[in-house]
Amino acid sequence: LVMRGNKLQLIEPRQALMDLGLAEHHLRFTSTLYVEEEGPPSKVAENIYQLVKSKCKDQPTQYSSDGSISVSDVLISVSGEEDDKTKSVLVSWSHQDEVLGSFLLNLVNTELTTATE
Amino acid sequence: SDGSIIQPKSYIWGTLNIKMFVDSLTEQGITDIKVEESGDGSIIHLPNDDTLIQIESGSTHIMCGGDETVRIKLRDTLLKCLQKI
Repeated sequence: LVMRGNKLQLIEPRQALMDLGLAEHHLRFTSTLYVEEEGPPSKVAENIYQLVKSKCKDQPTQYSSDGSISVSDVLISVSGEEDDKTKSVLVSWSHQDEVLGSFLLNLVNTELTTATE
Repeated sequence: SDGSIIQPKSYIWGTLNIKMFVDSLTEQGITDIKVEESGDGSIIHLPNDDTLIQIESGSTHIMCGGDETVRIKLRDTLLKCLQKI
């Protein structure tokens, strides 16, 4: 809510910052988990996709052909070689998506990891 | 929780003062801190916490392991050093 002239207006926080000449500071988090799973990384990605779809029904969830998953604006990607016994799962989100990002990280951590490094 | 709770979003602005941030980390008990200059920013490496923090004038990227206690400590320390609306 900002004063413009003698009027009060409800505007987006991002717009308000711009109007005041302030530069937004973008804060991003990327947390890495390790999942013990042999086989292709896409298998782990598929498991995560099914898990997220069942737990976050209200969030738009997409599975890309490159094996990454997006849940609203939170990104999850799996990397590793088929021969590796563990795969890395990167969960990445911006400060504005803190609640969902942290929720998804904890979800993957409790449901899929047997050991974290 | 199903992750669908609507929370107010907060926005932060300004440039991070690296010295202030490093001092705050030290106050939090994080003492193994390596700061490197990189282009127009800095990279802070916390070897004991398996963390890299990439800082530029308008952005910060915290890259860490899956330990939420570490991440939340770093997040809160950082937010104390920036302005919020």
